[in-house]
Amino acid sequence: MSLKKLTKDWRAMSYGFLDASAKRELRRKMIKAVAVPGCQMPYASREVPIARGWGTGGLQATLTLLNPRHVVKVIDQGDDDSVNAASIRQFLARVSGAETTLDTLEATLIQSRHRVPEEILREDQILVLQVPNPEPLRPVQPSMAIARQMHADADYGRLWLKLYEEIVRSGRIMQGAEYPALVNGRYVITPSPIPRWDVRKLHMARHLTLLPAGREKRIHAVPPFTRVEPLVFDDVPYKVEDHARVTCSRSGLKGFFMNEIPLDGGGTRYEISDSHLGAKALERAAGEAVRIGETWYKNGEMQ
Amino acid sequence: MAYVAARGGEKAIQQAERLYREQMGRIDRDRVAGIEAALPSLIDRVMGEASLYAPELAALALAQSGGDLYETLLLLRAWRTTQPRLGIAEPVLPDQTFTHRRISAAFKDIPGGQILGPTLDYSHRILATEVLEQGGMSPEPVTPADKPAPSRQPSLASWQKQQGLLAEVTREEVDKHDIPDVTREPLLFPAKRAHTLQSLARADTGGVLALGYAAMRGYGQAHPTVNELRLSQAELRVTHPKGTVFSAGRVKTSQAEMVSKLDADGKLPLGFCATFGWNEVKVIAGATLDLNSSTATSDSPMGEEFFLYHTEAVESSGFCIHFKLPHYVTFQSALDALRGARAEREKTPDASQAVREEEDA
Repeated sequence: MSLKKLTKDWRAMSYGFLDASAKRELRRKMIKAVAVPGCQMPYASREVPIARGWGTGGLQATLTLLNPRHVVKVIDQGDDDSVNAASIRQFLARVSGAETTLDTLEATLIQSRHRVPEEILREDQILVLQVPNPEPLRPVQPSMAIARQMHADADYGRLWLKLYEEIVRSGRIMQGAEYPALVNGRYVITPSPIPRWDVRKLHMARHLTLLPAGREKRIHAVPPFTRVEPLVFDDVPYKVEDHARVTCSRSGLKGFFMNEIPLDGGGTRYEISDSHLGAKALERAAGEAVRIGETWYKNGEMQ
Repeated sequence: MAYVAARGGEKAIQQAERLYREQMGRIDRDRVAGIEAALPSLIDRVMGEASLYAPELAALALAQSGGDLYETLLLLRAWRTTQPRLGIAEPVLPDQTFTHRRISAAFKDIPGGQILGPTLDYSHRILATEVLEQGGMSPEPVTPADKPAPSRQPSLASWQKQQGLLAEVTREEVDKHDIPDVTREPLLFPAKRAHTLQSLARADTGGVLALGYAAMRGYGQAHPTVNELRLSQAELRVTHPKGTVFSAGRVKTSQAEMVSKLDADGKLPLGFCATFGWNEVKVIAGATLDLNSSTATSDSPMGEEFFLYHTEAVESSGFCIHFKLPHYVTFQSALDALRGARAEREKTPDASQAVREEEDA
C-alpha cells in the first residue's frame, strides 16, 4: 500500500463540480428535509458557476444527487429548450457525464423551474424544483427570523387572514402561482412558484420532490406519499387555472396547462406549457412510435 | 422567437456569449498583470467582496468579465468555494499589523500619532486631461519623513478601555478551528458575531454604503464618529505540519471603529467592520451599520437581518438579473386569477359595489 494508491490525482474540479464537503452537507440537509416534510432546513448554499436566482439551489441539489448512471432532464417554465434550461443541462452533462434527455419518462432526475411535468412521475424519479423564495410567510412577515418562529409555533393565522381578505376584496383568492399548501398536516410551504395546476400533483405523489432555494439558503422536501393540501376554506373550493378546455395550437393537445400567446390584432392562441409532451404528440401524429405516459390530468380534470 | 427558441436554445446562448467576449478581445497574462498593477483599489475591493485574497486571480476575473464587478465576484466566489481548507491562520490584533495609515476623528492627537499614509482625501479632483494631450503622468517622488512612523500602532480602543470609556466585552475563547464560518454554514438570526463580521467583510461596497449612509443621515439612532480607521498589512501566520508557526505572507486589511455618544451606562457604543484590501468607504459604512444594529428593531432596515441579507453582492445582483428570465408560467397563473376575479365581479355587480363602498367608508 502506497500513498499514491490511497489518493487521487489532482484535478482542477471535483466530480460534479461541488467539493465533497459541500455535497456531504447538502445530503445531510436533504435527509433532514425528507424527515420533516415541508420544514425549511437552512444550509450553507455554496456559490456555483451560474448567477444566484438562476437555479443555484436546484443546481446544488442536482449536482449532489447526480452520478453517471442518471438521466437528467432540465425544464424552465415547462420548456426544455428555454435558454437557461439549455445552459443548466449543458453544465450538468459537462461536469457529471450523466446522460441528458427531454423525455419525462426517460429521466431519473428532473430539475425544473416552476413546472411539474404533465406525465405522472414514478417512484424512481426525483423532481428538483428551483425555488426563488422558500418562505410562504414572506408576504405577511418579511423577517426570516420571525417567520421561522411562526413556523415553529404553526402560527399561520396571518396567512389565512390574507387569503380571507383577498376573497373579501376581489371575490376570490388572488394567489396565482406559489399557492401555499400544508404538508403532512404540519408545515405550510410555498411550492416554488409552480402554478396552482401543479400543486395537486405533489399530493400523495409517488416521487420525491426537493425544493432547494440557493439564494435564500433553505431546502424543504415533499417525500413520496405525503399529503399536500392547498390552504382553502371549507366553502370556497381550490381553483386551478382555467385551462381545462383550452387546446394547444401546435400539438392539438387539450386539457393541460397552457402558455397564452398574444396575436396581432387582439386574438390569442395557446401552446402547451410542457413542451416535450407537445413534441411527442406531434411525433405521434406524424406516425412515429412514441411513448406518452399516463398524465395526472385527463380531459382537463385531475384524476 | 430567439428567447424561447424551439431547439435553438443551446446555439443561441453560445453565440450570445461569443458576442459579449468579442468586445473584450484576447485575454493574456500581460493584460491580467496590467490590471493588477494599474488598479490596486479595484483589486482590493474585489478581493474583499469575494473574500478571497488573491490579487492575480482578482485581476484575471476582472479581465474575464470585462470589468463587470458582479460577474467578477461570482467567478471568484464560485472558484473559492470549491477550494480545500489547508490551514487556519493565527488571529491578528490591530496593534500587531504593519500599519500604513491610521487616523482618528475623535481626538486631535492619539497615542502613536495620526498617520495619514497613502490617501487621495486631500487631493484636488481635477481630471488629468494632460495625460491624453501630452502622453503621460508619472507620480511625484515621495520625500521620506525625518523620523519614520513606527510600523506598529497601538489601538485607540485599548486607551479608551483603560479610561473606562468603552464597555467591557468579555472575550469568548474559541479554538481557531471552531470559529463559525459563514461560507460553510447558513446565516441565521440573531446572527453569531463571527457571521455578522464575516458577512460585512464580504458585503457589497455599494450596498453597505447605501444602507450605512441611510443610518448616517438619520435612519439610524447613533451619530457616528470615526474612532479609528486603519489600513494595514497583516501577517498571515500559519502552522507548518511540523508544528512551527511561520509567516506565509501579508494581506492588506482595512478596519474601522465607529463610536456614538455615551449610552445610558456612560459607555461609548462601538461598531466595527474589517475587510480584505484597502477599502475605507466600506469599513466606515459597515462599522456604522454595526454600531446601529444593537438598538434597531428586528424589522428595521438598521437591523442586522435587513442589512446583511441585502448587501450580499452575489445574491442581490443574481436575483436582480434573474428577472430577465422568462416568467410566463407564473404570469399566466396570476392572469388567470385576475380574469377570474373580473368575471366574478361582472357576475355580481351589486356585491362588488357593496364591497367598494365599504372600503371607501
